[in-house]
Amino acid sequence: MLDVDSIRKDFPFIKNGRIYFDSTATSLTPDPVLNKMLEYYREYRSNVGRGIYKISQLATEEYENARKKVAGLINAKPNELVFLRNSSEGLNLVANGIGLRRGDEIVTTIQEHHSNFIIWLRAKERLGSDVKVVSCNKSGSFNLEDFDKSVTKKTKIVSVTHVSNVLGALTPIKEIAKIAHEKGSLIMVDAAQSVPHMKIDVRDLGVDFLAFSGHKMCGPTGAGGLYIKETLVENVEPLCIGGGTIDDVGVDYYKIKKGPAKFEAGTPPIAEAIGLGEAANYLSQIGMGNISDHEHRLAKMMLDGLLQIRGVRVHGPLSLENKTGIFSFNISGIDSHDVAMALDASSNIMVRSGHHCALPLMKEVLNERAGSVRASVYLYNTEEEVNTFLNALEEISKTLS
Amino acid sequence: MTSFYELYRKFPKADCGYCGNASCVTALRKYFMGKFSLDECLYFKKQIYNKGDFTEKPTRKASPFPPGIRYISPCPSDSSMVTAEVSLNSSPDQIDYFDFITAEKIFGYNYGVMKISPTLGIARFEVDGKAVMAFSDGRVLVRRALDKKDAFWQLRTSIRRLWAAVN
Repeated sequence: MLDVDSIRKDFPFIKNGRIYFDSTATSLTPDPVLNKMLEYYREYRSNVGRGIYKISQLATEEYENARKKVAGLINAKPNELVFLRNSSEGLNLVANGIGLRRGDEIVTTIQEHHSNFIIWLRAKERLGSDVKVVSCNKSGSFNLEDFDKSVTKKTKIVSVTHVSNVLGALTPIKEIAKIAHEKGSLIMVDAAQSVPHMKIDVRDLGVDFLAFSGHKMCGPTGAGGLYIKETLVENVEPLCIGGGTIDDVGVDYYKIKKGPAKFEAGTPPIAEAIGLGEAANYLSQIGMGNISDHEHRLAKMMLDGLLQIRGVRVHGPLSLENKTGIFSFNISGIDSHDVAMALDASSNIMVRSGHHCALPLMKEVLNERAGSVRASVYLYNTEEEVNTFLNALEEISKTLS
Repeated sequence: MTSFYELYRKFPKADCGYCGNASCVTALRKYFMGKFSLDECLYFKKQIYNKGDFTEKPTRKASPFPPGIRYISPCPSDSSMVTAEVSLNSSPDQIDYFDFITAEKIFGYNYGVMKISPTLGIARFEVDGKAVMAFSDGRVLVRRALDKKDAFWQLRTSIRRLWAAVN
């Protein structure tokens, strides 16, 4: 069981009655991660993979140790883990690196974050690839038959989100991966909203690529990772090349390195990667199972409370069976931005409002072009905070809508 | 006993701010609550009821004109529009800058519907179709303004309409 009071002491941001319910956008960062990053800047501040002197070797060792820790969190090998800025960069890397051509098919879904949607529309624009978009119902559930019909022998890649950043609905990744592989297609998963919140095993899921954001899992901003299956690493072209990505360079030739280093051109975000490694360590010590159990308890409170408030329309699954702690809702007669401002001004509660970078879902499925309010729970939130949130929301619905 | 409106009729309604209250309505409201003496009012002290008849020019202690407007562009609601926010409150400890119950009555009588939550310290209303929110800490915020100029005028109008409710 998670000791939330003890965990909250690690997060310096939590003070003065602040209630942070926007971990879907970015999470808070605990002191152990901040200290680890400062330790790099104070004690062994040098470049990695370049110098021969002791301090540089130490920096390289810490950087690669961080890679091991992060890879371990998702049961990947270190040579399958690329350090990037965020999920968006990982998704772009794959979209641009797998050699898409005219006539290749891409299958994605209507639930995607823009970072896993417009990259494929751009491939369609630039390369003439075909994009098929699988729709879902208002609860965010997919019909696997739709995937089976959409994926054909011409499908080059199926790219889906693991957890919707709007609805919190879980996508059946294992089943979709099976369909994709049976028809010879690759599968990529946007795991930005799943890696921070549950135990992820890339081998069990059977995916080829998996992108996630370090800054959503108690790591620093500017840190993220991309898992590339070992057998595919050499088949993916890097997005950027330059220093640190080559084995040899001549006047008229260059030879790209093997392994994840080929995707990390130039001086990497060293402190960020080391911080991300410490975040992976922090979460592992607490236990991903404990974190998801804690979130499940809070999610149940929140869902039950939201459904009881008159005037509130909850989007997505109305049970916690295939749902995480992300809640999108609207209050009749009041704009989502006004709700968010009211919560912030009255009760120091921080939630997101708007379209959440998922316009196709908001427009076509939910019919909420103006956006919705989104609240999300994480390991540092408490039942008391959920109660305060529900009380404030009830007052807003009663008096301001 | 003199009623509120009978007494209010005798005021010049100059909203000069001399007594430290932002408006004559606020001063009268406090008078009826026993928190204000008519001796504090320049006009009643000199028994002058016409704006132009005073010999001392009152020093305004409060102003309905918005200082220091913060513009947010693009507006979170619509990327082609502007949000503007201003804080009228210069005392960070004062959390009851507006009397929303009075605001709702005056606004409702003159301009339309104002939704209020005294518990949360928030008022919501519209000015020319633009959503406006006022908060008990003295902030006023307008969204979906066409541009900065439009945002300024909506804020100014909103503040004027709220002025009688400033504590």
